[in-house]
Amino acid sequence: MSGEAVRESPASVLEPTAPPSNGDRSGEVLHLALVGNPNTGKTTLFNALTGLRQRVGNFAGVTVERVEGSFRTADGRRVSCLDLPGSYSLSASSPDEQIALEVLLGRAADGWRPDVVVVVVDATQLERNLFLTSQVIELGLPVVVALNQMDTVESQGLHIDVPELIDALGVPVVPIVARRSQGLDALMRACDTARRLPPPQRRFELAPAVQDALAPMVSRLEGAGFGASAARLEALRLLSVQHLEPHVADITGLDEERKLAHATLAQIGIAPPRLEPDTRYAWIGEVMARAVRTPVSGPHTISDRIDAVVLHRIFGPVLFVALMAIVFQSIFTWAAPLQDAIEGLIAAVGERVGAALPEGDLRSLVVDGIFAGVGGVLVFVPQISMLFLLIGILEDSGYMARAAFLMDRIMRRVGLHGRSFIPMLSGYACAVPGIMATRVIENREDRLATIMVVPLMSCSARLPVYTLLIGTFVPASTLPLGFGLQGATLLGMYLLGTLAALGAAAVFKRTLLKGPVRPMILELPTYRWPSLRTLGVTVWQRAMLFVRRAGTVIMALSIVLWAMATYPRSTVDPALPEVVQAERQLEGSLLGRVGKVIEPVVRPLGYDWKIGVSIAASFAAREVFVSTMGTIYGVGGSEEDTGALSDRLLAERHPETGEPVYTTLVAVGLMVFYVFALMCMSTTAITVREAGGGRLGWSWATIQFGYMLGLAWFSAFLVYQVGRAMGWG
Amino acid sequence: MSLRVLPLAPESSPRASDGVLADARPCTLAQCRPGVRATVLGLDDCGSDEACRLRSLGLCEGTSVSVIDSRHAMVLDVRGTRLALGSALTAGITVQPHPAAQSTRG
Repeated sequence: MSGEAVRESPASVLEPTAPPSNGDRSGEVLHLALVGNPNTGKTTLFNALTGLRQRVGNFAGVTVERVEGSFRTADGRRVSCLDLPGSYSLSASSPDEQIALEVLLGRAADGWRPDVVVVVVDATQLERNLFLTSQVIELGLPVVVALNQMDTVESQGLHIDVPELIDALGVPVVPIVARRSQGLDALMRACDTARRLPPPQRRFELAPAVQDALAPMVSRLEGAGFGASAARLEALRLLSVQHLEPHVADITGLDEERKLAHATLAQIGIAPPRLEPDTRYAWIGEVMARAVRTPVSGPHTISDRIDAVVLHRIFGPVLFVALMAIVFQSIFTWAAPLQDAIEGLIAAVGERVGAALPEGDLRSLVVDGIFAGVGGVLVFVPQISMLFLLIGILEDSGYMARAAFLMDRIMRRVGLHGRSFIPMLSGYACAVPGIMATRVIENREDRLATIMVVPLMSCSARLPVYTLLIGTFVPASTLPLGFGLQGATLLGMYLLGTLAALGAAAVFKRTLLKGPVRPMILELPTYRWPSLRTLGVTVWQRAMLFVRRAGTVIMALSIVLWAMATYPRSTVDPALPEVVQAERQLEGSLLGRVGKVIEPVVRPLGYDWKIGVSIAASFAAREVFVSTMGTIYGVGGSEEDTGALSDRLLAERHPETGEPVYTTLVAVGLMVFYVFALMCMSTTAITVREAGGGRLGWSWATIQFGYMLGLAWFSAFLVYQVGRAMGWG
Repeated sequence: MSLRVLPLAPESSPRASDGVLADARPCTLAQCRPGVRATVLGLDDCGSDEACRLRSLGLCEGTSVSVIDSRHAMVLDVRGTRLALGSALTAGITVQPHPAAQSTRG
C-alpha cells in the first residue's frame, strides 16, 4: 500500500451544505450510511466528510442519538450522511445496534433508506471487522469498504493487498486515513461506482442441507418484504439470537420456522447458534490468508505495554485518581476565566438593553427575567465544553475503556457494570448527557439503574448553589496540608452525591431492578492520539445543545418566574424604605403566596418562606435557585453578584425573633438538600425518553424524582435537627 | 535445576502456565496464566446471550486466543483485538492450552 493512494485533501472539493430535510429524496441527493465496529474511526470519518454541518437528534420513537450531516462532492452533488451507532455485528444486543440494523434493512421508523452503505473498517484489526462487513455485504445494498488507519498498518509491519481484498469481498475497498482526511475523494468516487455495480452477494455457500433447513425462514422473510439477499442474511443471523428482535417479531410463523430449523440442524449435527459465526469466520480466515500478511512478532504491542502500567494493580488506580483530579481541577479552574468573560459580556449587554428600554415592566422583564435567568445558565457553557473536551480525550484515546475496566470491580459491588461508570462520570457535568450515555449498557436493568442514579452525581448546575452558600457561610480557613475548608466542603458535597449514587444503585439492583450482574465483556481499543477535529465537533455539538436548551426551556421558565414574582401588584406604602417595599411586593405576588404555602413543609429544615420560594422556583432547573434568591433580595440577578447577595444573606434577620435566618447549619442543610434533590426539568424529560417513553418512562421519571426529593428532604432535616440538638446553630 | 517436591495446590485441575505445565489438558480459560495460548473448545457455560456476543466478537469455538493479563479481569488477544472478560465468563470457557513451547511471554 503506497502512501500516494491516500494523499488527497477533501477541503477543496467537499463543500459542506445545510442538511436536507429528513427523508428528502428529491433531486440528486445521495444517502450514505456509515457503519462499523466501535473505535474504528467511523465518527472521525463522518466529521471529516461533513464538518460542522450536522444535525443531532433522536431516531423516531427511540432514544438512540441520530447524527446526520451533509456535504457536496467535487462534482457538486449533495450527499446526506448518517452516522450509525457502532456495532460489532448486526445482531442487536443494545438499542444502538438495533437501530443500525433497522436503518440498514430499510425498516427505520423515519423511512430513511441508504443508497450506499460505507463500512468503516479498522485495517489493523481487519479479521474481527470483517464479521460485520460480511453481514453488511449480504444486505443487497451497494457497499463500499473504507479501510481506515492505513498509516498505522504500515508502521505495524502489516501488509494488506487491496486488489486482492476487493476481489475477495466483491465490493469496492478504499484505503483512507480519516484522521488526516486522506482518501476521501476516492471514497466518494467509489460510492458512485458502487451504485452502478450489481448488488453484492454472500461470498460463501452454505451446505445444501443447511440451505434446505433455512429455506422456510427465508420465504417467510421474503413474504414480509425482505429482499432475497437480506432474507438469506436474516435467516442465518436469527439462528444465533435468543429472541426475535422487534423488526421481525411480528412476522407470522417466523419463530415456528426458526424452531424447526434449529431442530433440523441439530439432527444433522450442527449447533445452530454456532453456525453463523463459524461459517463467517471460516470464510474470513480464507480472506485473511489471501489478502493480509501479518508480521512474525510476539503478541505484545505498544498498547499492551501501556496497559501493563494503566491496568496495574497499584499504578492503575493511582493514575485513574490522578486523571480524575485533573479533570475536576480543569473544570473548576481553567474554565473560570472564560466564565468570567461570559458573565461580564451578558451583564454588559443586559445593561445596554436595559438602558435602551423605558423604565417599567418591559425593562424589568428583559433585565431581571430574561437576562438574569438565561445569563445565569449560559455561564456554564465553558464548564460543560471543558468537561466534554476532557471526556472526549479520554474516550478517543482509548483510556475510557480502561477506566471502565478498573471501575468494574467497584461497580460490580453495587450490582452495576464497569460501563455504568462513564455515564456517572458525565453526570458531573450534566445529568442529561450522562443519561444519554447509558445507551452503551446492553442490559435493561443495569441501564435503568444507572439512569436512576446519574442525577445524584453533582452536576455543574449545582455549582452556583454550592459556590454561593460555601462562599457566604463557610470560613476560608486553612486545614492541614494546605487544603482550604471551603474547597474541602465542596469536595465533601461531591463525595456525598457520589456515595449516594452508588448506594442508590445497590438498592435499585436489589429491589425494583433485580437481576444478575452481567459479566464484563469489554473491548480495550488500541491507544490512539485523539483527532482534534472530532474533539472540536463533539464539544461544539454539546455546547450548542446546551445553549439551545438555555434559549428555550430556561428562557420560558425565567419569564414565567419573573411574572410570578411581579404580579399581582400590591399597593405598598411608599414611605417605607425601598428594600422593605420590594419585599412586601414580593410577599404579595403569586410566587410569595406559593412560598407561604410551602413554608410549613420546609420549616423543619430551618428555612423561611423565601428559601421555600427559591426551592419551589428551582424545581424546573436548580441553577434558578441563585437567580431567584437574587430577585427576592433585590440585588439584581443579572450580574449574579454573589458578593452583594452574600452580604444580604448574612444580614437577613428573622422578623419576629431577630435571629439570623441563615446560619452555617442552614446553609449546609441547604447544600445537602441540593446534593440530593432532582431539580431539573431537562433531566426528567430525558429520563422519560430514555426509560422507555410514554407511561413507562413517566413512571420511572416519577420514581426518580420522588426518591431523590425524599432523600433530599430527609437528609436536610437530619442535618438541621441533629445540628440544632448538638447546639451548632 | 533441583527437583523439590512441592505440596500440590488444593485446586483439582492444574493451572496451565508456560514452562510449568507440560501436559496440556483442557481446562477453563480462568485457569490459564498470562502468556498462555489456547484454543477455545466450548462456550457452553457462559449463558447463551454472552456466548452469542463473544462469538460475534470473534471468540468462537476453535479460535486461538492468548492471555495478555489476568491480574483482575482477564485481558485476551482475540484475532488481534484486546478483549477484557470478567471472571464469570472466563470460568465458563473451556480451552485447550497450546504446548508451552509455542507460547510467548512478553
